[in-house]
Amino acid sequence: MANINWRTLNVDAYDPDSEVNFPLTTLLPANLPAPSNAAESAQIGQQVRQLLRAGDSLGALQSALETAPLAGDEAAKQVHLATVLEVLQGIRHSEVSRILSELLKQPGGTALGDTLMKYLYKGMASGAGGSGSKGLSPQATGASTGFSQIQGRNFGEGSGGQVMSVLLSWHEKLTEVVGVGGIVRVMSDRRTV
Amino acid sequence: MLLLDYQNVLIQSILTERFSGAPPQTIDQVVSDFDGVIFHISTPTTKTEILISLSIKCFRELVQYGAEAVLQREYGSYITATEAGYDFSILVDLENLPPSPEEREELVRRISLLKRNVMAAPFEKAYDEFSQLSAEAAKYTSESAPQGIAEGGEVMSIHYREEEAIYIKASFDRVTVIFSTMFIDAVDRIFAKVFLQEFVDARRRAIQNAPQVLFRSDPPLELQGLKGVGKTGEKGEMGFITFVLFPRHLTLQQRDEVISHIQTFRDYFHYHIKASKAYIHSRMRRRTADFLQVLNRARPETEERERKTASGRTFRVQG
Amino acid sequence: MVCLAIPPGFESQSLRPYLQCVRSSLTAALSLSNFASQVAERHNVPEIEAASSPEVLLNPLTVARNENEKVLIEPSINSVRVSIRIKQADEIEHILVHKFTRFLTQRAESFFILRRKPVKGYDISFLITNTHTEEMLKHKLVDFIIQFMEEVDKEISEMKLFLNARARFVAESFLIPFD
Repeated sequence: MANINWRTLNVDAYDPDSEVNFPLTTLLPANLPAPSNAAESAQIGQQVRQLLRAGDSLGALQSALETAPLAGDEAAKQVHLATVLEVLQGIRHSEVSRILSELLKQPGGTALGDTLMKYLYKGMASGAGGSGSKGLSPQATGASTGFSQIQGRNFGEGSGGQVMSVLLSWHEKLTEVVGVGGIVRVMSDRRTV
Repeated sequence: MLLLDYQNVLIQSILTERFSGAPPQTIDQVVSDFDGVIFHISTPTTKTEILISLSIKCFRELVQYGAEAVLQREYGSYITATEAGYDFSILVDLENLPPSPEEREELVRRISLLKRNVMAAPFEKAYDEFSQLSAEAAKYTSESAPQGIAEGGEVMSIHYREEEAIYIKASFDRVTVIFSTMFIDAVDRIFAKVFLQEFVDARRRAIQNAPQVLFRSDPPLELQGLKGVGKTGEKGEMGFITFVLFPRHLTLQQRDEVISHIQTFRDYFHYHIKASKAYIHSRMRRRTADFLQVLNRARPETEERERKTASGRTFRVQG
Repeated sequence: MVCLAIPPGFESQSLRPYLQCVRSSLTAALSLSNFASQVAERHNVPEIEAASSPEVLLNPLTVARNENEKVLIEPSINSVRVSIRIKQADEIEHILVHKFTRFLTQRAESFFILRRKPVKGYDISFLITNTHTEEMLKHKLVDFIIQFMEEVDKEISEMKLFLNARARFVAESFLIPFD
């Protein structure tokens, strides 16, 4: 007990009626799909890849988005993200507009568009080292390699630039069609991917 | 003002004025120079006798390397008893000046170069050692040269600032001058790196005959085993810059110029680092003002419409 | 749209979609309304900073061009926090970015929307509250952030070029008398 710095304890956290303990689960809709795990996501990933290999890009994208593990655990979401990113990268740049318009024309296409938008942001967040949690803080002056003729220049052009530019171009095309509303729904939808 | 002057401008202007025949005046002035050097110009006894004293941190070391001989050569009969608190003094009698203006000008020049001359002693010693060693070495082939000649002379160290020093070493084919310098600020260190890289590259690119320049953060081989080297360099704030002077820089006609010039290196180098920082700072200031302007564009213009009452009188809304 | 003083091709290729993406994301995120604190009576604080009511915080968005260049947008009901990570290709750029952002944050007072301290992992952060969007034009605020991102990159590379040019000139001037 003596080790606990009680002055810094947030007493609100122990109060079930406090704002801090707002039950976020009540914000989720009732029609959420059943919870899934990484193995199931991997299985879906296999099916999607088969479609992609068969040349059915639209089908692959559609089934990947329809099966998004909205209620899955973190591992399931990661596996599925990899699948979606693979599909997005597998589609040629010139086909993007056509596939997008066909995807959105289908019944329930708007929902698929929203899911796609969620994946675009998630893809950028994960490829770029999370929301600032990973990676070296650029403020740290850890670069004091001293004062020498031999220079350590390993900052380089950041990695992952290739995937990012694919995602950015998808984002641009998708925003053209669905507008800013699609982005707002990514922010406000508690069903994360 | 790209390159620094070798002489002390203040001393030069004071003496030029005094020597020009103006009525004698009492002078008592302390003049500072680079590297913590302090001059004292005064007229202790009569208005016509000007005493110029110099205080330099490393005078004892310089004497060891033959400073007295150099000063004797340069100032000869002007040398006088050293003023208390200073290291070296000369006395000029205004009633006993050289007759021709040219000679007077030369005297002013010599006195204003006092710091340069006192610092030149170890360099001159290295030059002499070099010519001696190279004459000696010419007698042997490179394989059969005896130990002493191949290794060259001893390293002379001049601790001319609190934590910085110059090291000079003569060999049979070169004279090596090493500056140790300190960067308290991490930004300075990185700027210095950029500058020094250009010093290194300049030789490859444009000026083939320039001395070779090397830099590193730990003491170079020449200084190993020497006392007091790199003691303060734990955090990498120490830098060692080596100039290798080749025989073409060591000829008699080049000698004085090279000695003067290389002495200014440390101050020149630090001066330009600071100047770059100042420029970048002013640039950021300007850019920040630009950004502010852009941000202010986001504020909708509060239009000040003139309002009138029914009777036609205008009034302004308060607040 | 932009012209950069950095190697052409590979650089500017993905810059336009990057900025475009930031622009649309910001436009979406800047839908703010006045919201009094649910925790303390008569308080009205930026919820994204207070983080006392989880239901008014929205999902954060990350827009990235690569590992070293990204923007984090953290929206909430009455405030948005925008953090930018500026490209730093080497030690000099690192120091210049650090100096520049420090310079700006020290003047945060006059910049209204500038946060005094960047979010961890980023170089500079902005905090836009509903007061700001009420007093200022929203699309101009977005313009400001976009222009800021463009100009900062340009400024950093120009300063670096200047430093190199000056170093070269200084070095050569010192060495020429030996020649």
